[in-house]
Amino acid sequence: MDFTSAPMLALFIGSSLRLAMPMLLGSMGELVSERAGVLNLSVEGMMLTGAFAGAMGSLATGSATLGLVLALAAVLPVALLQAFLSITLRANQIVTGIGINILVLGGTTMAYRELLGHRSRVQIPGLDKWAPPGLGDIPVFGPAVFDQTWLLYAALAFVIAIALVMRYTAVGLAIHAAGAEPRALDKSGGSVTRVRYGAVVFTGMMSALGGAFLSLGDIHTFTEGMTNGAGYLALVAVIFGNWKVGRTVFACLFFGAATALQFQLPAMGIQIPTAILIMLPYVMALLAVSGLVGRQTPPPYLTHAYVR
Amino acid sequence: MNPTHMAIERQLRAHVGVWLPLGAVLFGIACGLALVAGVGVSLHDAIAAFAEGAWGSAYAFAASANRALALGLVGLGFILADRAKLTNVGGEGQIAVGGIAATAMSLYGGAAQLAGPLPFVVPMLAALLAGGLWGSIAGLLKVKFGTNEVISTLLLSFVAVWILYGCVQSEALLRQPMTDSATLPESLEIPDATHIPLLSDDSAVPLHGGVLVALALALVVAIVLNKTVFGVRLRAVGLNPVAARRAGIPIASSILLVMFFAGAFGGLAGAFMLQGEQFVLKARFSSGYGFDGLVVGLLARGSVKGVIASALLFGFLRSGGITMEMVAGVPSAIVLIIQGLIILTLAGAAFWLERQPR
Repeated sequence: MDFTSAPMLALFIGSSLRLAMPMLLGSMGELVSERAGVLNLSVEGMMLTGAFAGAMGSLATGSATLGLVLALAAVLPVALLQAFLSITLRANQIVTGIGINILVLGGTTMAYRELLGHRSRVQIPGLDKWAPPGLGDIPVFGPAVFDQTWLLYAALAFVIAIALVMRYTAVGLAIHAAGAEPRALDKSGGSVTRVRYGAVVFTGMMSALGGAFLSLGDIHTFTEGMTNGAGYLALVAVIFGNWKVGRTVFACLFFGAATALQFQLPAMGIQIPTAILIMLPYVMALLAVSGLVGRQTPPPYLTHAYVR
Repeated sequence: MNPTHMAIERQLRAHVGVWLPLGAVLFGIACGLALVAGVGVSLHDAIAAFAEGAWGSAYAFAASANRALALGLVGLGFILADRAKLTNVGGEGQIAVGGIAATAMSLYGGAAQLAGPLPFVVPMLAALLAGGLWGSIAGLLKVKFGTNEVISTLLLSFVAVWILYGCVQSEALLRQPMTDSATLPESLEIPDATHIPLLSDDSAVPLHGGVLVALALALVVAIVLNKTVFGVRLRAVGLNPVAARRAGIPIASSILLVMFFAGAFGGLAGAFMLQGEQFVLKARFSSGYGFDGLVVGLLARGSVKGVIASALLFGFLRSGGITMEMVAGVPSAIVLIIQGLIILTLAGAAFWLERQPR
């Protein structure tokens, strides 16, 4: 593979980072929720909600930042629905997730046609770009790698914050307890229900940001069903990451690079069936959940409803 | 509590498996109609267009029924595995591998040259086997490593869908020979001999013979679930694996076998779709059928009659939805909304269903 040319390499790194971000944001939310014992297959639907609401908000107000705010607001009912069904009503978490994804796909597709059907190729104001002082001025690599939407840097800051909160704070301890030993949390005066609701809403927010990254940061438009499996990949990354922040981030970056290669390889004249590259993350996750790459230890009470 | 009240409550509980799905479906459809009104299309026009597309002509009726066949097969596989409390969400991938196997057999496996009914039977069997093997991967992972079958069947679905994509992209595999740059990434059309024969000679009614196979299989599943040792074993494995093991039930082989059958039904659905309706393998061949079939299985709440009813419902819903979009300008996404609402209502209602009556 010819990565000797610096511009090519810079382009590849830049686009890998960009493609990894929606998954990274979603998977960080999902990791917190799964640690608390709730599996949200609905990450896909939450991302789609964010992508749609972000795009519509940005278009209506002319400000991508307000679009982001709308994305966060719009995902709330979706996340609360998931939380209510899976926590309060103790419904099957997998079934509710799939139901929400179908509902959101239908809802956003329909709303999009109603709102924008006649002018579907419209360009939407996107998020501003930013480069860390100094790094942006590096020749070749500066513009291609570091000059990114500010949400990308915010996402990296979120990762660090989440890792710290999960490891060192009482909130992190309560989240871990809700998924590992809910009865202990309950006996010690915490509320499993409250922690889990909070975790699911957090997943919704992070997923919405991930979705908005797609429509506002990368492509500057909304297309029907544009998440196209990114939410499922975010879940896969959490599994592959063995429910740990560092490994999950690594998985997302890897998936991003695999996606970037699909566009890069043909440009470099290398013929590898793209299907193989797209398939790779799923195959790796399959190996991971089979325990063929290290032991996977999910939170013990993952998908178990808590009954007092 | 007075006796009549108690009698009514007992009746409601006894028939909960009927009125609850019915209620969920009616709720979903009511919301759908409200949305139609909300986007400013007259309800009369929308319903007329829907009826036209779903059952308005013999052709439309047959097309809806064909759709229902594929969905019903996936649904049957779902309730079979569900009896052992295994959730098969891999219908999409099982359909895809079935489609690949049937295409390969029809085009390059020499099936077309066989005698009698073999040209269309052999690809169907190949699809059945391929789907079954694909399903048993999840069973094997469950038995060997305790891998949650929901996650493995979901991942396997994605893998299968992309294998299908790869197959129709590559000339070395199933893509038709490239004559010019406009050659579409899809397979050749399968030979006439490998098409599943239509029930009637009238080509305006394209209902294919798979309906007989599907009905026979529905009967077999009903008997297996309710009248055979295997059915009892599945239930035991699902309810209490520890007790089942103590009772000497071979858990591992039961799981493997039932996942094979669940996958095989999906594979056969793929063969039906290819050899009965589409005749050409395309990248988005299985699109949505697997998840729809899963919903059919969920709605059925474990009964074969339920599978038949909900498969027909969704078959007609999808066909009607497409015409509603073309004729009345109502986005067919409304059908997705209705489906999503039905699933969520049912999932949420399980809370009241599973409370034990005192």
